[in-house]
Formats: sequence, C-alpha cells, structure tokens
Amino acid sequence: MGIIRTEQLVFEYIRRDEEGNVEGITRAVDEVDLDVEQGDFVAILGHNGSGKSTLAKHINAILYPTEGTVWVDGMNTQDDKDLWNIRQEAGMVFQNPDNQIIGQVVEEDVGFGPENMGVPTEEIWERVEESLKAVGMYAYRKFSPNKLSGGQKQRVSIAGVIAMHPKCIILDEPTAMLDPNGRKEVVRAVRGLNDVEGITVVLITHYMEEIIHADKVFVMDKGKIAMQGTPREIFSQVEKLKELRLDVPQVTLLAHELQKMGVNLPNGILTVEELTKELLKAGQSVK
Amino acid sequence: MSIILDHVNYVYGDDTTLAVHALKDINLVIPDGQFIGLIGHTGSGKSTLVQHLNGLIKPTGGSIYFNGEDIHAEDYNKKKLRSKVGLVFQYPEHQLFEIDVFKDVCFGPKNLGLSQKETELRAYAALKQVGLEDEYFYQSPFDLSGGQKRRVAIAGVLAMKPEVLILDEPTAGLDPKGRDEILDQIARLKEETGITVILVSHSMEDVAKYVERIIVMNQGSVLYDDVPKEVFKHYRELEEIGLAAPQVTYIMQALHEGGMPVRTDATTIREAAQEIMQALGK
Repeated sequence: MGIIRTEQLVFEYIRRDEEGNVEGITRAVDEVDLDVEQGDFVAILGHNGSGKSTLAKHINAILYPTEGTVWVDGMNTQDDKDLWNIRQEAGMVFQNPDNQIIGQVVEEDVGFGPENMGVPTEEIWERVEESLKAVGMYAYRKFSPNKLSGGQKQRVSIAGVIAMHPKCIILDEPTAMLDPNGRKEVVRAVRGLNDVEGITVVLITHYMEEIIHADKVFVMDKGKIAMQGTPREIFSQVEKLKELRLDVPQVTLLAHELQKMGVNLPNGILTVEELTKELLKAGQSVK
Repeated sequence: MSIILDHVNYVYGDDTTLAVHALKDINLVIPDGQFIGLIGHTGSGKSTLVQHLNGLIKPTGGSIYFNGEDIHAEDYNKKKLRSKVGLVFQYPEHQLFEIDVFKDVCFGPKNLGLSQKETELRAYAALKQVGLEDEYFYQSPFDLSGGQKRRVAIAGVLAMKPEVLILDEPTAGLDPKGRDEILDQIARLKEETGITVILVSHSMEDVAKYVERIIVMNQGSVLYDDVPKEVFKHYRELEEIGLAAPQVTYIMQALHEGGMPVRTDATTIREAAQEIMQALGK
C-alpha cells in the first residue's frame, strides 16, 4: 500500500442560507481513489472549485471523509489516536506565506513544529539547521521573516514542515502569490526535497510548467479524477485539458499549434530543449 | 489627457533610521488609451508606484499630474481623482461585503453621490462589461466562484466610470481558463471604451499577449519602458532581476543558436509559429 491512499473518498458539505436553513448539499469530492507511492512526486491539477484543495485537506486530517477512507502511511485519518502522527507525517504548505509564519526570527519559526512535538531542545536546533539548509535558507536563519521576499518566506514555511520529519508534504498552490523568481526558488526547493531527501510530494498548482518533472499527474474535475498519467501523457491532450479549464506549458502549446499546421512532431513535448531539438531536426530534413 | 509623473520619489520612514527609498526619480507619461504592463519582482516598487497614481500615497519628492493638474495641489479634488483612476487591488474579492452582487457594485457610484437611477444603470453596465450573467446579480457574492467574485470586484471599480483602470495581479490564484477569461474581458473593455489599462503582473506570457507597452521596475527605478518585443530582448538582464521572458522567447533564441533562420523577437505563440513555419519553408 502506498504512503497516501484514498478509497472511494466522498466529501459533502451542507450549504445553508443566512438563517441557517439547509439549502442543499454539495459533493466536493466524489468517489476518489488515489494511491501515492512513497518517494513519488505527484501533481494535482484542476480548475477553481474542482475539489483539489478539499482532497488535499483530507490527507492530513483537516477534513474527514463523508464516505470512504483515507490512509496515510497505513493510518486511518478518522482514527483519533493517530491524528497527531498523521499531521506529523503529512505536512501541509498553503498559498499565502504570510499566514503561515508566526516566529519573530526565521529559525524560531522553523523550530515551532518540532518544539510542539516535544523534541528535545538540542535536536530541535539540529532539525532547524538541516531543514533550512535543505531549502537553501540557512543564511537567513537570524532574519526577521518580514524582511524576506515571498519565495523566501514560502521556503521558510516548507522548512517548518520538514523540521517535523514528515514522510510526505502537500503543497496547495504554494507559488500562486510569487513572482517568477520566487516560483523558481520554491519549485527547485520542492524538487530537491523529493530527489535528495526522498520525501513524497503532492503539489497542487495552476502553473503547468511547474509539474513537467512530476512522476504522476492527476487532473480533477467536479470532485472526480478526470485524467491521470505522466506529464507527457497528460499534456499531449491539449484539447481535453482546455475543456477542463486548464492549459499546457507554452512550449507544449507551440508544439501543438505547429503540429496542427503540418509540422511532424512527437506528442507532449514539455521542454524548450526537446522542442528545439525536434525543430532543428525537421529543419535539416527540409534542406 | 494623461498621467504625468515628474521626478517622483518616495521614501518610506523618511525620518527614521530604517528609511527605504521605494521610488527613485520616476519620470513617466501615461497617455490615454494605452494598455500597459507593469512588471518587476516582489519589492521592486510596482505597488508603491500604482498607489501614487490615484493619490493614495503622496510622493516625498516630485509631482504627479492628472489631465494637466497637479493632484497634490491644495484645492485638487482627490475624491474625483479616485473615481477617475480606478485601482483594483490584489485579491479584490476580499473586499466584497454586500448582501448581493448588484448592491456591492452599486456601492462605489452611490458614494460618488449619484442618483439611485444613475447608480443602478452604471452597476448594470459594469456587470455586463465584466461578462457576469444576470442570474448572479441577486446572489450573495460569497456564493460565487473565485473568478466570478473577482469580476464582481472589478465591476465595482468600473461602475465609477474610471478613465484609467489599474489592476494589481488580477489573475493571481485563478485557474488558466479563469485567467484567460478575465484578461480577454479586460482587453475587450479596453477596445470598446478606450480606457487606459495598467496591468501589474508576474506572468510574462500574459503581458506579452495583451499589452502594447511594458514598464519594468527594479529597485525603485524604471529599468525598461518599451514595446514588449524590445523589452524581452533583454531577457538575460530580466532574469538577473528576478524576472523572465515568455517561454517562446527562449525557444526562438535556442532555434536561432542552433542555426535555424528565425527572428528571435517573437513574444507570442502565434508569432513564433509563423516564424518557424516560414523557416521550415511551409
């Protein structure tokens, strides 16, 4: 069994009007089966309101299933006695860095998690050091968080999560509020955690370029998993993604347009290097 | 008619030891009807700059003229200025508060002291301009999707009939389709009404696709101010200051270096596709 597994997961919430009368029921997650292997880099795509954040919040027991089951490292999220173990094993990073940082100094903020877990002081400092080094923020350990850029703050948030030594980390649109450089920093840090530390990553994003290196991509629509596959398999279906209000990286879109105009190219090109190589090859054969 | 910034400087905490020189000698002319992209990394001074344009921040040095008048002259009507220069902040949907969509959009014009009839006409027109269907008008704004909420918030500013519309990252957090819908809507609005639009954005692809002029801010100064093609030629310099060029720019550059006879200044997919087809002799 994978590190994160859901079986027929359903989540419904009740809509109420201003007087508190029930107006109806919305099914935000609808019979989702998910299986994520330890060490995988998994991306979840989907338009606003497709249910991806609701799904993510089930993974560290912020929300509980209406029907079905969620297991994290074999623990059922509805089992009260495992609640804190689950929260420690599956760490979560949200969109707005300013809502996640509480410490006055970077290293204090990162130490907050392990301190709450009752980790001995000396080990807290070791963990703070290794976590900040893992996201490339060790040089800023004595800084006040409000002196940092968005990308730096978000990396501090990530360090705060990994200081708790989780087996997996779930990031819900961590780059939505960042500039291009901040986005790059965060994505690089997350890939590093996955490659070097072997931490399982679940990344939710609206930026298609960020997930071209993922092991597996899930696309959600109306609470269900509408597509799944490798980035290449997913991004070769340009029209289908557009129907689901999504997009492909600009490189992939250009390749798709050229294909339509009659250029012979393989499907699902993901990087500038690939497209350049293919086009130069096509250019040679013309000569 | 236009906005002119003349040697504008702004220092935060001027009389303290922590003074930050956020804007350094900014000289800009923003003529009527332009679609401008304002880019720069976090902390480059973009937001400080746009808050100067409708008088929310007063420069510590230099002057700002709107339609030929100094907006910080003693007898200048600031309230009127703010209805003429509409500013849509980041995540504007956080500012929605009324019990239904229509009332929320009425709030601005009502506060301008307009009659109820005029207020409602404007609110209706503004909601149409952002492409919101009638069926949503009497719903609570909090029941709408993220993209719809954002359109309601933009309509609230449009109902003031601004001559200049400034949008601070209007697509942050929206899905790709929602992003395209909002930007297409704004582009159409600009075509139909001739309004000046200033788009603050972190997406180089969006900026390249929609605007006719790009202003690049870096450390409180204007680094580049030109048409997109010219600005993105400096893609290496843009990277150094935490920005980038659209992905197609890198493709064209790599093709050119690989010996394909293409021009390297394409900034949109359509331009790039045309250029490549030509080089392939198709």
